[in-house]
Amino acid sequence: MNTKHTVAVTVNGKKYTREVVGHRTLLRFLREDLGLTGTKEGCGAGECGACTVILNGKTVNSCLVLAPEADGATIETVEGEAKNGKLSNLQEAFHRNHGVQCGFCTPGMLMSVKALLKEHPKPTVDQIKEAIEGNFCRCTGYQQIIESVLDATGQLKPKTEEMRRV
Amino acid sequence: MFENIPHEELKVVGKGIERIDTVEKLTGAALYTGDWVVPGMLHAKVKRSPHAKARIKRIDTSKAEKLPGVHAVLTGKELDYRVGLYLVDKHILAKDVVRHFGEAVAAVAAETPAIAQQAVDLIQVDYEVMEPVLEPKSAAKKGAPLVHPDLGTYEYVKEVFTPIPGTNIANHTKLRKGDVEKGFKEADVIVEREYTNPNVQHVPMETHVAIGQWLLGDRISIITSAQSPFTVRNLFAHSFKIPHCNIRVYIPSVGGGFGGKAGIHLEPLCCVLSRQAGGRPVKIQATREEEFSLLPCRSGLVYHIKTGVKKNGKIVAQQMTMYWDAGAYADYAVNVTRASGYSAAGPYEIPNAWVDAYTVYTNKPFGTAYRGFGHVEFSWGLERHMDLCARTLGMDPLKFRLANTLKPGSVTLTGEVITEHTGNVGRCLEEVAKAIGYGKLTPAEKAREKKTGMKIGKAVVALHKAPAMPPFTGTVVILKMNEDGTVTANLSLTEIGAGTYTSIVQIIAEALGFPVEKVRLPIENDTDRDPYDWQTVASKGLLLSGNAAILAAHDLLGKAYEVAAQVLRANPCDLDHDDEKVFLRHHPAKCVTFKAMAVGYAYPDGNAIGGPLVGVGRYVAQGLSNLDKETGQGNPALDWTYGAHGLVVEAHPRTGEYNIIKVASAFDVGKVINVKSVRGQIIGGMLQGLGTAMCEGYRYAPDGRLLNPNFTDNKIPTSLDLPEEIDCIAVETPQIDGPFGARGVGEHSMIAIGAALGNALQNAVGADLTHLPIRQEDVWRALPKGGKGPEGKIP
Amino acid sequence: MLHEFSYLAPRERKDLLQLLKKHSGQARLLAGGTDLLCDIRLGTDKPAYLIDVKHIPEMQGITWSERDGLAIGATVTCIEIMRHPVIAKKFPLLAHAAGHIGSAQLRNRATIGGNLCTASPCADLGCSSLALGARVELASVRGTRVIPMKEFFTGVKATQLKDDEVVQRVLYPAEAAGAAWGMEKLKRIKGHDLAVVSVAIARTATWLRVGIGSCAPTPVVTADLPPQATAAAVVAAAFKVVNPIDDVRASRDFRLFMVEEFIRKLLPALA
Ligand SMILES: Cc1cc2nc3c(=O)[nH]c(=O)nc-3n(C[C@H](O)[C@H](O)[C@H](O)COP(=O)(O)OP(=O)(O)OC[C@H]3O[C@@H](n4cnc5c(N)ncnc54)[C@H](O)[C@@H]3O)c2cc1C
Ligand code: FES
Ligand code: FES
Repeated sequence: MNTKHTVAVTVNGKKYTREVVGHRTLLRFLREDLGLTGTKEGCGAGECGACTVILNGKTVNSCLVLAPEADGATIETVEGEAKNGKLSNLQEAFHRNHGVQCGFCTPGMLMSVKALLKEHPKPTVDQIKEAIEGNFCRCTGYQQIIESVLDATGQLKPKTEEMRRV
Repeated sequence: MFENIPHEELKVVGKGIERIDTVEKLTGAALYTGDWVVPGMLHAKVKRSPHAKARIKRIDTSKAEKLPGVHAVLTGKELDYRVGLYLVDKHILAKDVVRHFGEAVAAVAAETPAIAQQAVDLIQVDYEVMEPVLEPKSAAKKGAPLVHPDLGTYEYVKEVFTPIPGTNIANHTKLRKGDVEKGFKEADVIVEREYTNPNVQHVPMETHVAIGQWLLGDRISIITSAQSPFTVRNLFAHSFKIPHCNIRVYIPSVGGGFGGKAGIHLEPLCCVLSRQAGGRPVKIQATREEEFSLLPCRSGLVYHIKTGVKKNGKIVAQQMTMYWDAGAYADYAVNVTRASGYSAAGPYEIPNAWVDAYTVYTNKPFGTAYRGFGHVEFSWGLERHMDLCARTLGMDPLKFRLANTLKPGSVTLTGEVITEHTGNVGRCLEEVAKAIGYGKLTPAEKAREKKTGMKIGKAVVALHKAPAMPPFTGTVVILKMNEDGTVTANLSLTEIGAGTYTSIVQIIAEALGFPVEKVRLPIENDTDRDPYDWQTVASKGLLLSGNAAILAAHDLLGKAYEVAAQVLRANPCDLDHDDEKVFLRHHPAKCVTFKAMAVGYAYPDGNAIGGPLVGVGRYVAQGLSNLDKETGQGNPALDWTYGAHGLVVEAHPRTGEYNIIKVASAFDVGKVINVKSVRGQIIGGMLQGLGTAMCEGYRYAPDGRLLNPNFTDNKIPTSLDLPEEIDCIAVETPQIDGPFGARGVGEHSMIAIGAALGNALQNAVGADLTHLPIRQEDVWRALPKGGKGPEGKIP
Repeated sequence: MLHEFSYLAPRERKDLLQLLKKHSGQARLLAGGTDLLCDIRLGTDKPAYLIDVKHIPEMQGITWSERDGLAIGATVTCIEIMRHPVIAKKFPLLAHAAGHIGSAQLRNRATIGGNLCTASPCADLGCSSLALGARVELASVRGTRVIPMKEFFTGVKATQLKDDEVVQRVLYPAEAAGAAWGMEKLKRIKGHDLAVVSVAIARTATWLRVGIGSCAPTPVVTADLPPQATAAAVVAAAFKVVNPIDDVRASRDFRLFMVEEFIRKLLPALA
C-alpha cells in the first residue's frame, strides 16, 4: 500500500530529486536521503527545535513535516549558512561570543535566528528571546546566544559580555 | 603550577578566545554519533517494561524472530552479564524481574529502525505485576520488600562502600566529627527540618546513542556518545572478561552529557546484539521518552537536618541524614551518596557533625551522576535550612552565613584544614550580596512593587564542591610536534560542550610560548590512539589535564632544548625559545628552528639526531586518601571551588506567580583561563539549576509509572525563562596545584540556586517551601493566606 | 519514528471527500501535523492513510463581510491568523490566542482546523473561539452543515465529526467583530507550554462570554451573560461549566482558583 513519492526540493540553492515513502519525515529525508546531517533530532515531537529548518521562508520543525509535503519547496539548512568557504556574519558572531557549547542545538538555533533577522534586522532582546523560544539549549543558558545575535546586528554594547574579576 | 603569574604577563591564558570546536558545529560539519553510518549497520530497538516491578513469567520472541529483516533478538535470559562501576548490580536486559518502569526486557536488531520497532511490538511479555517500593525512607526500613534480594552477592568497591545485604540500602556512608551530643547540649537553639527533591533528567539535547560491533575473536569496536571513553572500555572489559586491548572506543562530538553519559549505558547492548547478528555493527539511539526512563536520571533525596546554634550565630553541631532515592540500580548513586555525605554541611565549619547517608534502592528509574553530583540536591535543603536557622535566631541570613563559612584554619567535615589558598567563600557571598543590593529595596524596586502589585524578595546562598573521584585519579597529555613546528595534542578528556578543550589549548600554548593557532587538539577521542584518562566528570578535567598539559609542554621543550643544545653546541640552561625557534639567550641569532627539529634534526650531510619530538605529561592527584569507613575522616578533595548566588525575585502575594529579576553568581575559580568559557559555564549551569528549581522533576503514578517522560510535561527552561538580569563574578584565589592557579567550575553554577529561589520567595511573600521544584502552584499553596481554593462557590 | 502509511494529497475538494469516504476509519486528515504526527510517532494512532488537506481551495484563506462575518479556512495557520489585518482589527482575541500557541516553528505549521479537531481541552483556539460564538462548517460527500462550536466538542479529544467529514471553515459572527476582549493562559514556564488553565473573555454591547480551557473534558464557554455582569456573577457562571481534574500539570483546586483569578483580572481591563 505504501506509495512512493517523487520529492523535488531546492536545498541551500541546490536541486535534489528523490523517491521516498509517505511516512518519511523531512528531517530524515534531509539527514538520510540527502546526507545533510547538520540538522539534528532532539525529540521528534515538535518541542525542542533541534530540527528547525527554513521551509519556503518559514521556520518549521522538520521532524513534524513529511518529506512528500515538501515537494517543490525551497529549504534552507545550517549547511547553507557559510558561503564561499567563509562563515556568515551570524556564524562569526556565534563564534566570537561563545554562542555554541556542545553544538547540538546550534543548527536549529541558527535557522530560527536567520528567519528572525529577515524580518527584524535589528531585533530587540525580547524579540530574540521569542524567536528562539522553540529552540532548547541545555548548555549555554541562552545568554551568549542572545549576545551573539546582538553582536551580529551591531547592537552588542562593548564589554557587556565580559565578567567581573575580583 | 605557575599560580602566581599575573594576568598582564599571560599571553593566552585568561583571554576570551574563540572556542576551538565551534566552526564545525556552526556549519553542521561536526559529526555526532547519531550522524555516523557504518557499512552494514543494523538498527536496534528495545522492548521496555510498562511496570515498576514485575516478575517476567514468559517472553515470546518467536514472531519477532521470523520478521524479515530481523537479525538478532535478545532477552535477559541469554545474557548473564552484570555491569557497574562501583557496585555491579545491573543486567544488560532485565533478567527474571523488572525493577523500574521503562526497563529494557528485550531488544532487536534489524535492517531498519522501522523493522526493529515492528519486531519489538511483536514480542510478547507476560508479567506478574508486583507491588513496587517507591518512597526511599520507607524502603530503607527493615522488612521493606527488597529490590535486590541478592545484594549480598554483588561485587563492589570494598574500600569505599558499605552495602547492607537483606535491606534496600546499597550503601551507608558515615561521617563522625567531634561530639554531636555535646554540641547539641551547648546549643541555644535547635533547628530541625526535612527537605526533598524528586528525580530529575539531565536532558542533553543529544539523546544517548551508540554503535557497537563485536567481531570474531572478541574484537570490539564502539562509537558512542559518552563522556568517558576509558570507563566505557574498562567496564566493558570487566563485564565480558575481554582484554582491554581488544576493545576500541571512539567518541566523536558529543551533544551534551551533564553526567548522564558518564559510565556505560547502551554500549553493551548494541555489542551483544552485534555478536548475535554475526558481527554486523548495530546502532541504538534512545528516543527522548527513553532518555527519561530507559536511561538514568538524577537520584531523588530526602534530607533531614538538625542544627544546634548559639545565640551569637555560631553553629555548634549538626546531624544530617540523607536518604538518596537511587531507583532500581545504585551503581553511581553510591558514589553520589559518598561525595555528598562528606560535603553535606556546605562551605561552613561545623565543629561537631554526624552524617548518615543512605543509598536506597526503590522501583524507579535509576539515578546516576548529574552536574553537581549530589550537591544540587542537598544544597536545596541545606541552604533553605541556613535561612531557617538565621530566622529562628532573628539574625540576618547573610551575617549568619558569614559567621560560619570555612576560613583559613577551619576544619572541614573530613578533617581537612582550610588554608588561604583553598578559596574564599566569604568573598563570593559578599560580592553577590553587593551585586543584588542585598538587604533592602532600591527606589526603583519599590516603584516596581507598587506598579505590579508583586512583592520583591532577595536572598544569598553559598556553595562548595570538590571533585568526586578516586584519590588516585590520574591523566596523561601527549604533545606531538608536527613537521612544520606546530603541535598536535592527545588526551582522553572529552569535549562534551563545557569548553575544556579550548582552555587546555590555551594552557598548552601559554606553556609552550606558542600562539593558539599552532596547537591542535582534535575533538574526537579514541582509546586505541589516545592516552588514558579516567572520566570526564567531577569538574576535575581542567585541573588534572591542565597540569598534565603543562608537564607535557615542559617535556616537549626539554627534548627540543636537548637537540638544540647539541646543534648549537650550547648548555641547555643558556637557551631560550620563541614560537619558531630555540636560540642562545645571549646571541639570539644563533638558533635552530622547531621545524628543523620536529621529526629529528638532520645535519647538512643527512646525518640526524633526536628523532620526532614528543612531550608526555602525566599527572596524578596529590595528597588524597580514601575516607575512613566508620568516621569519614580523610582527604578526599583535589580542590574546593566555592561560590555564591544572589537572587532577586518578585512574586504575587495572592497567586504565587513569580519572576526572577536578577541572579548574581560568584565563584572562586582560582584563575580564569578563558573568560568567555567561565561565563558560559556560570550562566548555563545557573539556568539548568533554575530548571531543577522551577519546573523539572519526575512525577509518578501510585503504581510507579512515570507520568511525564517527555518535554510536554517535563518542561526545561527556554530563552524566555532567563532571569531579567545576570551578573557573573570571578573571584581569583589561585589554587597552588592548579594550572596557572585554576580550579574547575563546570558543575558549581547549578548548585544552591534552587535554595536561592526558595529563600527569596519566602522573603518576598512568605511562602515556606521544602520541596523542589517550585511551580507557581506550590508557591500559591505555601502562601501564608493562600492555597485555599477559589473564593467563588463551586456548584 | 513513524509507522508505514500512505500519504495522499488531493487537490480538489471532491477528491478529498471521496478519498475520505473510501478510506473511512483508516484515514486521518493531515493539516499542520503538529498533533497528528506526534500521536503517530507515539503509536497512539496508527492510520493506514494520511490525507493532506492543505491543497483544498475551499479550506484555505480568510474572508470577511459585514453580512457573513469572518470565515477562516480550516488549513489557515496560526501565523496567518496572527498577521491578518482584518483579524487584528476586528477579532484581536483570535490573533492573541493563535500567537500564544507553541513556538514560532509550530505556529508556522499549526492550523485552526487541526487545533479544533484535536479537541484537546487546552486548545487555545477552542476557548477563544467559543467566547466569540464561533460555528464550524463541516463538509462530506453528503453535503455541508454548520454547527455551533459549543456542540462540536463532545468529550476529551472527541468531536461531532463523522468518519467521512472534514472541517471546512470556522465561522465567526459579524456581531462579535470588535468585541472587547482579554485572555490569560497559565503555563508552567514562560516559554511555550500547553495551557494549564486558560480564560478568554469577549464582550459586546449585548453579551459577555467566557471561554475556558483545560478545566473540563473540552474547552467550555459560559452562557451568554449581560455585558455589565459583575465579576462575582461571571465567576459563578464560569464555575457552572468547569469541572477540572487533578493531573500532572495542576490540581483541581489551583485550576479553579486561577479561573476566578483570571476572570477578576481580565474583566476590568477588557480592551
Ligand atoms: C510542542 C507543541 C506545542 C504545542 N502547543 C500548543 C499550544 O500552546 N496551544 C494549543 O492549543 N495547541 C498546542 N499544540 C497542539 C497543536 O500544535 C495544535 O493543536 C495545532 O493547532 C494542531 O494543528 P495541526 O494543523 O498541526 O493539526 P494536525 O496535527 O494536522 O491535525 C490534528 C488533528 O485534527 C485532524 N484534522 C486536521 N485538520 C482537519 C480538518 N480540516 N477537518 C477534520 N479534521 C482535521 C487531524 O486528522 C488530526 O486528528 C502544541 C503541539 C506541540 C507539538
Ligand atoms: S526534533 Fe523536532 S522539535 Fe525536537
Ligand atoms: S550548545 Fe548544547 S544544547 Fe545548545
